[in-house]
This record gives sequence, C-alpha cells and structure tokens, in this order.
Amino acid sequence: MTTAVEMLGIRKVFPGVVANDNVNLSVEEGEIHALIGENGAGKSTLMNVLFGLHHPEAGVIKIRGKEVHIRKNADAIALGIGMVHQKFKLVPSFTVAENITLGSEPRHRGIFLDRKAVHDNVMEISRRFGLQISPDARIQDLPVGVQQRVEILKALYRQADILILDEPTAVLTPKETRDLFGVIRSLVANGKTVIFITHKLREVMEISDRVTAMRDGKVVGVTKTTETNPTQLARMMVGRDVLLRVTKTEAQPKDVVLQIRDLHVFDDRNLKAVQGVSFDVRAGEILGIAGVEGNGQRELVEAIVGLRPAWNGEIQVKAQNLTTLNIRQRREVGVSCVPEDRYVRGVALPASIEDNLIVNNYFKPPIAQGPLLKPDVIARHAQELIETFDVRTPSKDVPAYALSGGNLQKVVLARELSAQPDLFIAAQPTRGLDIGSIEFVHRRIVEARDRGAAVLLVSAELEEIMSLSDRIVVLYEGKIMGAIEGARATEEGLGLWMAGITSEGSPEAAGH
Amino acid sequence: MREKLRTITQLLRNAFGRSIGILLSILAAVMVGSIIMLIEGQNPLEIYWLLIKGALGSQRGLLISLQRATPLIFTAIASTLAFRTGVFNVGVEGQFFIGAICGAFVGYAVKLPMLIHLPLTLAAGFFGGALWAFFPTIMRQKLGVSEIITTIMTNYIATFLISYLTNYPLRHTPTTPETPPVQPTAQLAQFVELSEGTFGKGTQAHVGIFIALLVVIVMYIIFKRTRIGYEWRMVGLSFPFSEFGGINLDRTFIGGMLVSGGIAGLGGAVEILGVWREYKDLFAAGFGFRGNLAALLGGQNVIGSTIAALFYGGMEAGALGLEWSAGVPRQLIDIVVGLIIFFMAAEGMWAFVRRIKWVRGSRAVHRTTEDLEV
Ligand SMILES: Nc1ncnc2c1ncn2[C@@H]1O[C@H](COP(=O)(O)OP(=O)(O)O)[C@@H](O)[C@H]1O
Ligand SMILES: [Mg+2]
Repeated sequence: MTTAVEMLGIRKVFPGVVANDNVNLSVEEGEIHALIGENGAGKSTLMNVLFGLHHPEAGVIKIRGKEVHIRKNADAIALGIGMVHQKFKLVPSFTVAENITLGSEPRHRGIFLDRKAVHDNVMEISRRFGLQISPDARIQDLPVGVQQRVEILKALYRQADILILDEPTAVLTPKETRDLFGVIRSLVANGKTVIFITHKLREVMEISDRVTAMRDGKVVGVTKTTETNPTQLARMMVGRDVLLRVTKTEAQPKDVVLQIRDLHVFDDRNLKAVQGVSFDVRAGEILGIAGVEGNGQRELVEAIVGLRPAWNGEIQVKAQNLTTLNIRQRREVGVSCVPEDRYVRGVALPASIEDNLIVNNYFKPPIAQGPLLKPDVIARHAQELIETFDVRTPSKDVPAYALSGGNLQKVVLARELSAQPDLFIAAQPTRGLDIGSIEFVHRRIVEARDRGAAVLLVSAELEEIMSLSDRIVVLYEGKIMGAIEGARATEEGLGLWMAGITSEGSPEAAGH
Repeated sequence: MREKLRTITQLLRNAFGRSIGILLSILAAVMVGSIIMLIEGQNPLEIYWLLIKGALGSQRGLLISLQRATPLIFTAIASTLAFRTGVFNVGVEGQFFIGAICGAFVGYAVKLPMLIHLPLTLAAGFFGGALWAFFPTIMRQKLGVSEIITTIMTNYIATFLISYLTNYPLRHTPTTPETPPVQPTAQLAQFVELSEGTFGKGTQAHVGIFIALLVVIVMYIIFKRTRIGYEWRMVGLSFPFSEFGGINLDRTFIGGMLVSGGIAGLGGAVEILGVWREYKDLFAAGFGFRGNLAALLGGQNVIGSTIAALFYGGMEAGALGLEWSAGVPRQLIDIVVGLIIFFMAAEGMWAFVRRIKWVRGSRAVHRTTEDLEV
C-alpha cells in the first residue's frame, strides 16, 4: 500500500495560539482515516493547510510519495484533494448542479453554459457513488444531509481522490449519518481515500481503519482502529480518564412532578407539531425523549417552558396547571430548562457571565432588594457558580461570547440548576460539545435526578438517551411511538420507533 | 491557559479596535476639514486652535459650551436608553419639542409658588415627551411597525402640531408665532442672574445643567444597580435570551421607550425654562438628531454619551467664538463640525449595526456564533 498523504512537522501559528505544533500525519491510499480531537485541537487547521487555505510556518507535505508545494487552494485541487468544510460553502439560491459546477462549468460554444452536459455529468457521478440527488433542486430547499451530499459531489466533480470531511456528522440525524457512512464506504470501494474528522468515538470505531488523535495542536497518538477502544481514544483526546458511560444508580421515582395529557402544539408554520402527547415524569427519574430532530421535540419543550402556547391539553407541574402561566411564573413553580438553542436562548452572548447567571433570579432576594440589585451578592453568586461548575473563564466579567461551547453550556447549567428545580428539562444538552464537557453535563443531569428533580431529557443522540434515561419515550411526527424502560431499550428497537415503525402496534402504552 | 489567552486577546482587540476607530474618524474629519479650509484660503492649524480655545479657553467659552451641551445631554441620554433596549429612537427630536411646548404651556398658564410650579412644569415636559414616545412604541409592539419609520412620522406630526399651537391657540403676539413668556416661578435661573452679573456674563448658562447631570447619574445607577436597568440591558442585548429567562419583553420595552421619551421631553422643558423662557415656533431644530449622534458617538453608554454631548456642545461654542473673533464664516465651522460628527458617527453607527446583529433574530446570532465556534 502506498501513502496517499504525508504531512511532516507541520507548524501553524495564529496570533496567540499555536494551532499545529510539529504535526505529523500519514494517510494510506484507500483507507478511511479518522482525525480526532476536542474542539480547538487543531484538526481543521491541519486540513486547511493540506487544502491550501492556510500556509504553514514549517513542514513538508507529500502526496503519493512526492513532495509538493501547496501554495493556494487550486494547487490542492489539482493534486486531487477535496474538502467538505464544517460549514458548507454552497450558494443557497443556486441549484444543485450549479453549485457543483460553480467555477468549473463546462462551456458550450465559448461562453454559454452547457446545461445538459452539467446535468449528465452530475447524474453520472451521483450514480457511480450512490449519492442520490436531484440536480435541479435549489440548495435552500434541501435538508442538511442532502446539502452535504452536494458538497461531496462537488469535490468528486473536481476529480478529488483524497477527500477530507470536516466533522460531517455534527449536523446529521442518525439516519443521515448512516447514509453518509454508506457513501464513504462506496467511495473507498471506488479507490478514494477519506480523511474523516470527528470527536464522536462511536463513529471512529464504526467507520475508520486508522486513527490519529490530536490535542492542543499536537498529535498524541496514531493507531489502528482494531487495536484500540473508545476509552483509550477518549483518554488520548482529553488527556485524562473519561467516563464514557455515566455511572448512575437505580432510579428512585417518587411523586409525579410533570404530567402531560393530550397535548397539542403548533409550530411556526402553523402545522401541528405535537399531536396528542401524554406522559408523566416523576421526581427522581430521568425520562428520555428520543426522536429524529424536527418531530415535535422543540415545540413540546417550548410549550412546557411557556415560549409557545399549548393549543389543547394539560401541562401540570406539581399538580399546578401551567398553561395559563407566563414564563417567569412557570420558573417560579419550579421549572428550569437548558434550551436547545444554547447561543440564542441559553445565553446573551454580549452580556457578561455574571449577568447571564442571574436572569432567573435577579428580581428577588437575595439578588435584589426591592427595585435595587445587590452587586456584592451578584458577584459572589457568579463566583460560586463559576467555581462549582468549573467554568473556565478569565473572570466573571467577560462577555459570554468569549467562552467555548462547553464552558458556555456550563454557564447555562449553573444558572438553571442553581434554581433547585423540581422539573429540569435538558434539550439537546451536549450537541456540539467535546467529550470532556459531555461527561460533565451528563454527571450534572444525573445529580439533579438524585437530588430529587424530575428530569426530562430531549436528545437526538440515541447513545445519550440510552445511557442516561430511566425511561424512554420516542416521538415521531408529534406522536409518541412507544415507551420503554431505559434498561430494556435497544438501539434497534428505538431506531424502528424513530423511523415511525411500530412492531407490536401499541403506541399508546406511553408514559407508565 | 490557551483559552484564557485567547479571550484576553479578543477583548483587547475589541477595545483597541473601537478607540482606533474613533481616533481614525477624528483624524479623517480633521484632514478633510483642513483641505476645505485650505481651499478657502484659511490656515487650518490656526482655525483648529481657535476652535479649541473658543470652547475651553475662557470662563465664558466654557459656560457657553455647557449651555450648548445641556439639551444635548438630555437627548443623548434619551437615545442611549433606547439604543440599549434595542431600539433606534429617532423620535427623540419630536419628543424634545413636545416636552418643550408642554413646559412652556404649564410654565405660563399656571400660577403657583415656585416650589410646586417648577417641578410641575418639568414633570409636564417629561410626560409630554413620554406621551409622544408612546404611540410609535405601541405601534411597534402591537403591529410590528418599525420604530424608525413611526418615530420619523411622529417627528413631523410634532413639528406641525407645534406650528399650529404657536400660531393659533397659544399665540401671544400678533407679530411672531410664540407663546407668552413663562412665569418667573417656573424659570430655571441663569448663572448670570444668580450672581447678579458677576459670573457668567454674556452667557445663558443656567442651572438646568445640574438637572442634566442628575439625570446622567440617575440613569447610570439605574442601568448598573436596579432590576429595571438589568431588564433594559438584557432585552437590548438579546430578545430571545431575555424572553427565555422570564423577562416580560413588552413591559420592559415599552417602559424603556417611555422613559427615553420622557427624558427627551424633560430636556425640552429645561431648555425652554432656562434659555428661551417662551416657545418660539421652530426655535431651534436638530436637538434630537444631534442627541442620536452623540449617543452613537458615545458608544451607547451613559457616560460615553454624556462626554460626547459635552464635546458636541464645546464644538458649537468654539464655532460661535470663531465667528466673533476671527471672522471665519460660521458655515465653514459647521462643515468641519459636521465632518467630525459624520466620521465619528459613521464609526458609532457601524458599532451599533454590529451590535443589533447580535440582538435581532436568531438567524444573525446563529451566524455570529458559528463563526465563534472554531
Ligand atoms: N483563522 C484563525 N485565526 C485565529 N485563530 C484560529 C483560526 N483558526 C483556528 N484558530 C485557532 O486555532 C486553534 C485550532 O482550531 P481548529 O483547527 O479549528 O480546531 P478543531 O478543528 O480541532 O476544533 C483554536 O485555538 C482556534 O482558536
Ligand atoms: Mg474544526
């Protein structure tokens, strides 16, 4: 086997950060090579160097054994390197075919675009690699998973045979991820080489042949996938032992805290997103709501929290009807929530950490006294939460946008849990976080349960649902497809429900 | 550690970037102004020197600067308050005038001892301004009409309404459209009156400046130290976050707008009671707009806007002095002052646009955070 890519001693410095420090990477021809590491480890930077978007301060790159000088993006493309970025670079108003050929359109008699040639060419590639697509659809109308397919096609159209995928699964549903893996396998079967960036260890184990792990701009390990395991990889990435599966004791469910009956909720387009859902959550248990995103989870949570009216049905917390209460009143009843839009609802990005931490209690003692705030109490409050929740920040006065995703989520958790809620809702609480932060968030969720809170966990990550939940309910198209005890759930069974398939046909067994 | 470094450098970059921006805009204005002066055959260095000297070089200059700055402090604080809750209150102009006419009316039409009359007159100004802010606010909250459009409209209505009032029902003399003079019990004393001519001769500086500074201090404390101030700040920084946190958006927003209008109106009343003592139709336009600019210049914070208003007042006083002492045409000064304001406001405007992108709609926020997430 020959070496497709060899990067030797790569060094790349950004103002204040060494993003890549003497990095070596070697990728064999025809393999799926996973590049793993926490956020900020330097993975994207390394790949941008390879793709000619960054110029390294030092280092040598060899492609198929020959030393090359990649000065600009076009050089990399000419060498047969293609890259699908973390953030897609598609033109939303253009069609699939137009996006794919953008910049390298086949011309027909000089200046006119040869639409037929484009169409045929795209169809041919898409057939060869099993990438189903309709060339005339507009990007803005396509789901994320399909947009990603367009990005891959775009690279293949430019005759890439070394394909870099930068965190391709971060934005995908489980089903889309499985489809993507199928595509990746067919690419490799067709002789392509794939570099696959991720920080999800399950994916690494499932799809890759070899793994290179990075931490703090350095390579900290290279291994064959068959010779390693998730625990070892996690230790490499984080630099310490990480508990991948939360340890938790048997749940001790007590009284019903949240009771939902026949709930109907509309979404922003005035379509019914939640259709007659009923379930209970008891104190001291975690109820996991699984489901592919967009099946009513968002609307369900918003209806409970008070961001969205319930069209019909009952929402009770501690036997108190919530539907007539506003958000503040619901919070006062004992509802807390880590919202799924961390950056939009979870924090005010330009506001200080301190201010972000008091939005749920600034109006009452001890934070306020009458109309006045008490700055020293607020400062102490912030300092305490920053310490107990291990928020890595230079001070309580920096704006939230200065924090990394994981630390930002700790701020949200700190605020919402410090209210000692009776009902704690966590919506997609670890999306986009790295392993270290995920572990932290999971531990806090279990702690909240053990303290006696009723926990409602909404997540599209099956793994998260299965490892945390005492009971699991699956939402599909706004209805409950099935409910099962956490210990008895299997991924296959849940997967069927998530796809809308009922085996025994008793979806009404929900909740109890 | 790396993270820490990153945040610190980022903060430094922001602060540094902003001061550099302001400095550059001043420099640009001074340069363009110099070119115009050279074309006019004047020596720019001399003119700039005289401008500074006119504003700061004498007791009289300083007092004129203060007097000119007084109404601008009110309108700048009013604009800042609105900006901070996420609104562009272009209506400060109209609110200022409505406050002024209300002050003038209560000032002349009511007979009471000073201890009651003066506060009552000032209150009339405040409530007049607040009322004038109420309509666009309600239209925005209930109908979703942009406040920029509605406040521009209410500005026009204010001008026409006042023209009507001073020409017909409130008209005092047959020759000019103006109201009767306000009673002595409602006047704000000028320094020259207080000192019986020994202090502040040749100026109309009056004790209203202390009311202005009181407003500054009160607003500063409100923003920093009160529940309502926290609500204003948070709503201004992010609607979705505030809503999720349980803050009542409607109430906060309407309250902020009303107080903003009230402060503008109070400024109008103070200007009438301290300087004019009667309402002349079209007595001087542009107080509100200049307040908007001062707020942008001052980075939409209380202290910054106050400094910008003082600076603005100083420039005007300097320009007046120049006209008298050096015979430089006033228009030339106006151009230079305008240029400085223009360049600096462009910078401030840019900062505001950047900020409003954080605030409005989740889409914009998404985009920004994506960029942050490396
Ligand atoms: N264009 C850039 N300018 C400055 N710093 C950058 C830039 N791109 C990345 N960095 C920094 O380099 C480090 C590595 O980032 P990146 O390669 O994106 O990490 P990863 O992809 O592993 O999450 C981070 O600390 C990041 O802040
Ligand atoms: Mg990356």
